[in-house]
Amino acid sequence: MNRTDDEREREGTQAGRLWTVLSEGGTRLVALGGRARRLTRREVKDIVFKLLVALMVLIVVTPFFLLLARLLSVGLQDLVGSGPGQGWELIATLPGAALRGGVLNAIVGTTVLVLVATAVGVPLSVMGAVYINEYSRPGRVRTAIEFGADVLAGIPSIVFGAFGFTFLVAYLGLGLGALTGGLTLAFMMIPTVMRTTQEALKQVPSSLREASLALGATKWATTWRVTVRAALPGIVTGILLAVGRVMGETAPLIFTTGNNLGLPTGLVGPESWVASLPFTIWSYIMDPRPYLQVRAHSAALVLLMMVLIVDILANYASRRLTRRIV
Amino acid sequence: MYEYRIEVKDLNTWFGEKHVLKNITCYFEDNSVTAIMGPSGCGKSTLLRSINRLNDLIPGFRLTGQIFFAGSNIYDPDRNVYELRKRIGMVFQRPNPFPMSIRENLTFGPRLHGIKDEDELERIVEDSLRKAALWDEVRDQLDSPAVHLSGGQQQRLCIARALSVDPPVLLMDEPVSALDPISAGKIEDLIVQLKKEYTIILVTHNVQQAFRVSDQAAFLYMGELVEFDKTKRIAVAPEDPRTEAFITGRIG
Repeated sequence: MNRTDDEREREGTQAGRLWTVLSEGGTRLVALGGRARRLTRREVKDIVFKLLVALMVLIVVTPFFLLLARLLSVGLQDLVGSGPGQGWELIATLPGAALRGGVLNAIVGTTVLVLVATAVGVPLSVMGAVYINEYSRPGRVRTAIEFGADVLAGIPSIVFGAFGFTFLVAYLGLGLGALTGGLTLAFMMIPTVMRTTQEALKQVPSSLREASLALGATKWATTWRVTVRAALPGIVTGILLAVGRVMGETAPLIFTTGNNLGLPTGLVGPESWVASLPFTIWSYIMDPRPYLQVRAHSAALVLLMMVLIVDILANYASRRLTRRIV
Repeated sequence: MYEYRIEVKDLNTWFGEKHVLKNITCYFEDNSVTAIMGPSGCGKSTLLRSINRLNDLIPGFRLTGQIFFAGSNIYDPDRNVYELRKRIGMVFQRPNPFPMSIRENLTFGPRLHGIKDEDELERIVEDSLRKAALWDEVRDQLDSPAVHLSGGQQQRLCIARALSVDPPVLLMDEPVSALDPISAGKIEDLIVQLKKEYTIILVTHNVQQAFRVSDQAAFLYMGELVEFDKTKRIAVAPEDPRTEAFITGRIG
């Protein structure tokens, strides 16, 4: 017995008894490993906390796997089956009558919306971040813009949807469609991309900027050829994460895109109405017909795969860029 | 002979309310090394960065007096600061190569100033690397990232980069203080080589180094120019007690 006084003191209390149980257990564990010696109190503490954090991680990741299991158990038949609207037809054909047809309209719609959102949102956010970080002096204005962006990033997406409807559809008269929906998603992307870009720019050491200026470069050349270039891996990661996020947004699209069983043929006006995967999933799951409920699950799997592809691209792109310049 | 001579006249600088340099008057001769030495915070770097107007970027910086470069005041309001910085190269305390390939580090400056011809750029890359005594070590890996080089190699690359735009003057802000002794020795040798072609102004708080490589030395203390003369004279017989205290290691 090599217990400390401290431990003996605890023995009478509830905690002390628990302590004894734990340390006896720990001792046995070590004995199993072939080293028959009593664990010290600190070693036991270490083991207990290790188990605790492992449990926490398990709790954190479980919902994802439950969700995946659910989607697969219902939706996988659509992805791998060979009936009408299943397998290849699911992702390569437009919806038809009853069971026929897939969700190509939604896949194309989501792609178009995300492209519009990226084309509009990324230049605005990157330029904005460059202005804040490279040109504006630290002070109230900068703090106010950063605060504004942080608040925007926290606004619920349904509010962006309502804003898209009242501002773009009603006030500007753009109507529903791909442009309106894409712009609404762009509004959602801007705060995230701007802040991640700004963080990436902040990581660039000021000695690089000075080195460029000392060679006779203008501020403009220094910013774009040195600073932004050095920050590029971080900027690209930020953009692709934001893209992955808005891809799955439903709420901003409900009031702004309309819907379409075919493909959009324009950017504005009635011919620009588009379907999107989140919207399609939402409307199918609300439908009482069982085959549509299955279709909702398989569409969700398709969306997950698209987000996964964007994530893989994000990883690959930032690794490539990092390897090339660092 | 004194075509590129730099003269500093009655220079006073402030950062906000803080009076950093006080009535500095000195000059830097062609094809020689002038060491600016002094304890930390005495204004060495501020003086150096006033010569290529890098301090202009710092909010709250103010300056009175004049600095003449090749006969004209560099603080003239209509002076082209980009042209000035092209002709006064700078090497920093920590190696700071751009996160690009070795080659791109060296073509960055020339390209900025309008050189597009690939053969010309190729020639500049080799020339600058040879002058910085780095060519033999990196000639086979010009396209690999500059940050993969060792610290000492990176610093020599930064010297090569400064030389790539062909400046007659080279400012060096404690260029070896972040390096190991062997790399530092190589760069000191390099400085001695380079003074045949360039005017070098070297900031250092290392007295021994100043004595080893410089022809003239300026001793700054609390923003004042305490002593300015041939290095040999200062090393043997410092006039001011503060200089003596510094070179014998009692302040610093």
